[in-house]
Amino acid sequence: MEIKRMASSSSSGLTFKLHPLVIVNISDHYTRVKSQLNPPPLTSTSATVNGVENQQQAPRVYGCVIGVQRGRTVEIFNSFELLYDPSTHSLDRPFLKKKQELYKKVFPHFYILGWYSTGSDAQESDMHIHRALMDINESPLYVLLNPAINPTQKDLPVTIYESELHVIDGIPQLIFVRSSYTIETVEAERISVDHVAHLKPSDGGSAATQLAAHLTGIHSAIKMLNSRIRVLHHYLVGMQKGDIPCENSLLRQVSSLLRRLPAIESEKFQDDFLMEYNDTLLITYLAMFTNCSSTMNELVDKFNTAYDRHSRRGGRTAFI
Amino acid sequence: MDSTIAQKTWELENNILAVEAPDPSSDFIFYYDEVAQAMSLKAKPWANDPHFFKRVKISALALLKMVIHARSGGTIEVMGLMIGKTDGDAIIVMDAFALPVEGTETRVNAQADAYEYMVDYSQTNKQAGRLENVVGWYHSHPGYGCWLSGIDVSTQMLNQQFQEPFLAVVIDPTRTVSSGKVDIGAFRTYPEGYKPTDDPISEYQTIPLNKIEDFGVHCKQYYALNISYFKSSLDCHLLDLLWNKYWVNTLSSSPLLGNGDYVAGQLSDLAEKLEQAENHLTHSRIGPLGTSRKKVIKDILFNSVRQSK
Repeated sequence: MEIKRMASSSSSGLTFKLHPLVIVNISDHYTRVKSQLNPPPLTSTSATVNGVENQQQAPRVYGCVIGVQRGRTVEIFNSFELLYDPSTHSLDRPFLKKKQELYKKVFPHFYILGWYSTGSDAQESDMHIHRALMDINESPLYVLLNPAINPTQKDLPVTIYESELHVIDGIPQLIFVRSSYTIETVEAERISVDHVAHLKPSDGGSAATQLAAHLTGIHSAIKMLNSRIRVLHHYLVGMQKGDIPCENSLLRQVSSLLRRLPAIESEKFQDDFLMEYNDTLLITYLAMFTNCSSTMNELVDKFNTAYDRHSRRGGRTAFI
Repeated sequence: MDSTIAQKTWELENNILAVEAPDPSSDFIFYYDEVAQAMSLKAKPWANDPHFFKRVKISALALLKMVIHARSGGTIEVMGLMIGKTDGDAIIVMDAFALPVEGTETRVNAQADAYEYMVDYSQTNKQAGRLENVVGWYHSHPGYGCWLSGIDVSTQMLNQQFQEPFLAVVIDPTRTVSSGKVDIGAFRTYPEGYKPTDDPISEYQTIPLNKIEDFGVHCKQYYALNISYFKSSLDCHLLDLLWNKYWVNTLSSSPLLGNGDYVAGQLSDLAEKLEQAENHLTHSRIGPLGTSRKKVIKDILFNSVRQSK
């Protein structure tokens, strides 16, 4: 039984931002390795025999995460695979160097921030790997993804650990401490993640279905906001009635949130908002105009075809 | 949850085909069957039929990487390679990686510089468990649509001669961000001298005036393939959970602010086209406005190319 040594919260004060690309990367790596180990059944009869045993294999995959660190903010942008060397219980170093060079050529701003792995919990052996990476980055990160699909889960099964020197039983030791993180996306990333997540109609779908899809996205986001505010409201009402013990830190956070709302009432906001609104209206007007003139053109075409002067039909004359 | 109920209602009302629920058998696409691939490479069913490949399946990871890379280039074209395999008449793209070259339109052989990078990367990938081969290339056309330019067509024809099976993908990151849907196109060229039997109507897209000629001259030399996307069951699960975190970004995104200069550029391009059409009108001979003249004006405005003249 491996003893897991972890503290519940980190005290380093760094904020972590994780991009969805890293999550999809790790998941893809894991799925690939898993499916190579469990080849799909070629015939239906072998499926029942092999499928039962092979389902149990859940390989651990390892890789490196890269990104940017600006001051106290650490932003993880990308990741790539690494090989695990079972003889040294560590990651294959020359491979890492090679991959790092390749990635430096394409993404010159990214540095190695740490490493990732899959599994349900951090293990003792992970500390070896962690220590080995410390010569590249003094305080590497450990990103752990739990690949078990649990339909009741509400939270992302991704945890970020940092290492800290704690004194336990008089001996200073390195242990993993969990840190919180936020998801950060660039606009393009968000659109493609949204696209793949909901498999919206990509091309061919008429403008109406695309608009409907876009509006549904916004609609569900607003619903989400609504439900969260409702939860907060419920909680505050309960606190007022006395059902729930008062928690001052939470109350402070809520009050600071509410104090930010009047920002919308300022004059500068109104000006900007109206300008943007006018711009949108103008462009819609222009588009409508172009559409109208095209339709008019077609109408004249059709009219001229019907009343063609070169072929006498019932004595009608051409219309210019 | 409310969001899922809303989504399901909408899907029902609009007869959307149900997205397959995450189930382990859909992950079989990730398995790389070396023997089957080697066999199909030997058989080369595409050598006889220029229209052999009809569909493209792109994995979630490949799409994400390509779009992010394309966007990170800003207004400069970037390019990269795609890794995958073939499956009957479909090309499956599993992954993509960026190349350290700037694919400017004047360099025919941008890939020559990147060969070393490509070989290194493929080797390391194979070691790390990514067994598929390079199956195509992608590049970006920031702001001017998804089509193959003259240089692209000649590069792709060369590729299709020597590196079959090969696919060309074009992404427009600017239009993606401004319209909120991914602007992507997958193409294969016809061999020299081949005349396509039917004339498929391609989806209309506006193309800026300075690129129209290039588009028109070559638009019959290649055909577009249908693109569909796939993801693993774990991807499905993770993406669903991810939604819980970034619905905030969906609300806070504002395409107008981000793409102000692109929209202004489009408007000025449209103005130029209208002016050109008007000049055409006034400078042509005075007489009754025949239907042929009107067609010419409409062509200038709406990009269709007239082959006969």
